[in-house]
Amino acid sequence: MSRIARMALCALLWSGVTAAAGAQEITVGLGSEPTTLDPQAQEDGSERAVNDNIYETLMVRTADGSLAPGLAAAVPTAVDATTWLVKLRPGIKFHDGSAFNADTVAFSINRIINPKFKSAQLSFFNTIANASKVDDLTVKIITKGPDPLVPVRLYWMKMVPEAYAASDKFAAAPIGTGPYKFVAWNRGSNITIAANPDYWGAKPQIQKATYRFVPESGTLLAGLMAGELDLVPNLLPEFIGQVPKSAHIQSVLHPVLILNADGGITKDPRVRQALNYAIDKEALTKALFEGYGKIDQGQLLSSDDFGFDKTTTAYPYDPAKAKKLLAEAGAANGTLQIVGTSGRWLKDRETVEAVAAFWEQAGLHVDLKILEWNEYLKRLWDRQSRPDAIYVASKDPLLDPDRPFSTYYQAGGMGASNTDPKLAELVTKARTEINNEERAKLYRESIRIAHDQAYLAWLLTYEDLYGLSQRLTFSPRPDGKMLVSTMSVAK
Amino acid sequence: MGRYLLNRLWHGAIVIFGVTAIVFVVTRLVGDPVGVMLPIEATAEQRASFAHELGFDRPIIEQFGSFVADVAHLDFGDSLWQRRPAMDIVFEKLPATLELTLVGVGLAALLAVPLGIMAALRPGRLADQATVFMSLLGLSVPQFWLGLILVYIFAVRLHWLPTSGVGTPAHLVMPAITMALPALARLVMTVRSAMIEELNQQYVKVARAKGLPALRVVGAHALRNAAVPVLTMTGWEIIRALAGYSVVVETVFAWPGLGLTAVQAITRHDLFLLQAVVFTVAVMVVFTNVLLDAMYQMADPRMKMR
Repeated sequence: MSRIARMALCALLWSGVTAAAGAQEITVGLGSEPTTLDPQAQEDGSERAVNDNIYETLMVRTADGSLAPGLAAAVPTAVDATTWLVKLRPGIKFHDGSAFNADTVAFSINRIINPKFKSAQLSFFNTIANASKVDDLTVKIITKGPDPLVPVRLYWMKMVPEAYAASDKFAAAPIGTGPYKFVAWNRGSNITIAANPDYWGAKPQIQKATYRFVPESGTLLAGLMAGELDLVPNLLPEFIGQVPKSAHIQSVLHPVLILNADGGITKDPRVRQALNYAIDKEALTKALFEGYGKIDQGQLLSSDDFGFDKTTTAYPYDPAKAKKLLAEAGAANGTLQIVGTSGRWLKDRETVEAVAAFWEQAGLHVDLKILEWNEYLKRLWDRQSRPDAIYVASKDPLLDPDRPFSTYYQAGGMGASNTDPKLAELVTKARTEINNEERAKLYRESIRIAHDQAYLAWLLTYEDLYGLSQRLTFSPRPDGKMLVSTMSVAK
Repeated sequence: MGRYLLNRLWHGAIVIFGVTAIVFVVTRLVGDPVGVMLPIEATAEQRASFAHELGFDRPIIEQFGSFVADVAHLDFGDSLWQRRPAMDIVFEKLPATLELTLVGVGLAALLAVPLGIMAALRPGRLADQATVFMSLLGLSVPQFWLGLILVYIFAVRLHWLPTSGVGTPAHLVMPAITMALPALARLVMTVRSAMIEELNQQYVKVARAKGLPALRVVGAHALRNAAVPVLTMTGWEIIRALAGYSVVVETVFAWPGLGLTAVQAITRHDLFLLQAVVFTVAVMVVFTNVLLDAMYQMADPRMKMR
């Protein structure tokens, strides 16, 4: 066979493949293959990308990010400090026909909180002691202590069918209550889901979605440009000009530098404030992220998050003031160590290098240490000696201050570099405050203290970027879920 | 020869055990799977409890002991992330890597022999210089870049081939070419220099003087004697492809093989999966070497195996 004929044959064979992706079908490109399709086992974004369409949660986030009932009939109610009652929607069935009821809910909760199950998601739910059935459509959740976050946590926990979850097929062929059913998983290659004709909610437009796993971002981009893919999440900012269409939304990731308030050159609050004044956050966002980022208003929260304080704003870029404060503190020309890592978060190395350059402009000598991930974690978690400044991207999928503040603000938190007793008290108190108004007040006070004391150098909130084909319509969501039921394709 | 090969196999087993043991110790010294599996916001207690459930809080000697005991029963443990036997995953991915390696290196070897002979027939002339130049080019181009350029030209611009993935013969074209190119470059040079040497031997001159057809002199006599270095290099290329190039090529083209699995196991610190992959690759490398030894004797009966 001549070479030309062979090429033609290849093209012919291939056209048969592309033609399959017809109307009302989409193909999504993921950067990695889901490690499992058990929705309760791992912390795996690719697993979530698929399972968010197959499984559902008791609570959901609406398109604007607010909390609403999902499989629950209403927002859970607190009976006393540690008891919550959840009413369930009646008449819902799993894809295998088994009933969704109080038994399955209690089973789902007790399954994920059992340490023997080794769920990597446990840290989101470990305040829950147990769950039990009250009647067919009512579940009682007991918490270890007062926990105002129970409704929020329930938006992050997927409900699984009790009988089938015990099967060894469960992690490979999932069954949920969602708008899409699992169809097939060709290991290493793709996963297919199809619309569930018996879905209890609104019927989706798109009938079939295929997920392809493409690890190299350049190849993913090529797939989008060649018309093979309709949707690519986590698009690199520099690719945005080359894709047919794009969409973006504020993410749940907040890159910051934690400043050591207990020792070294950063012990003086004036130095920590100066470090904040010295960074041009706007320029950084433009240069590294093509402008796709929102300046963190000095609070480690996105503007949609619970407890966001409108009166606190970012330290403006003011190099003169930075120099003045450094001089007042006797730290002009001082040396400062920054610890960062590479390849873990979007532009992590570049961000730290840019910050180092700003601080050098303010007159400091910067000792920049980019460490391998495990070495980096050891430094981040070392409670004995804290680096002057350590970079981290705080992740807050629950959209609530409790987790980031407990980790990075509260004294003794895994990443905190201060021993402020007042701040620690506020965060601890907020954790068990059932009244949401009171709780928001406590957080706003924490935000102001952390901001005035400049315990961190706040930078920005990333935006999630999505590459889209010309025919796909999709509005990204604040919770980052890629719900195929909210998408549509031009016919 | 049988005893010789048995001896080689025995040495190979020691190598495989050594490699597996080193990987075990190194991965546990440098990497903590818990740090990658849990969100960094998890507390120290949550981390400790998770490590305990996975058995990573036991002394490393004890962990190694139970690992060796399991491996003796060919049980490599479960992948930490996928929660199914690591060897099942390896056997699932192995065919794709073998297909890519054999087609890629096979293509390289098939093209290298005629090209190398052509160059060797008239050293220093145009055909020779062109071959040498193209080989150097093939050696200098990074595979990663080459792969992406091919994708851009043939998939994005011309729409002749799919950008990535598996499924049809069309999917194999670009990965195989990317895999073949550096191997082709090296093999051409090997064939060329081996043939130049052979063509200058006395027996070739005698055969030519005797009036044997040129094709028979070059194709049957000289080529057979040049076969040993070419075989060695081809074996090497197979080993390089299995243990190295597959990582790059599979990543660029989303080819679901062992190389890609190894990369993912490393980034996720999936220790048991990584051990199973390394073990399997080590077995294949040893096996390829033993096979080569056997082929030497077929190619050249003068070689005595002891």
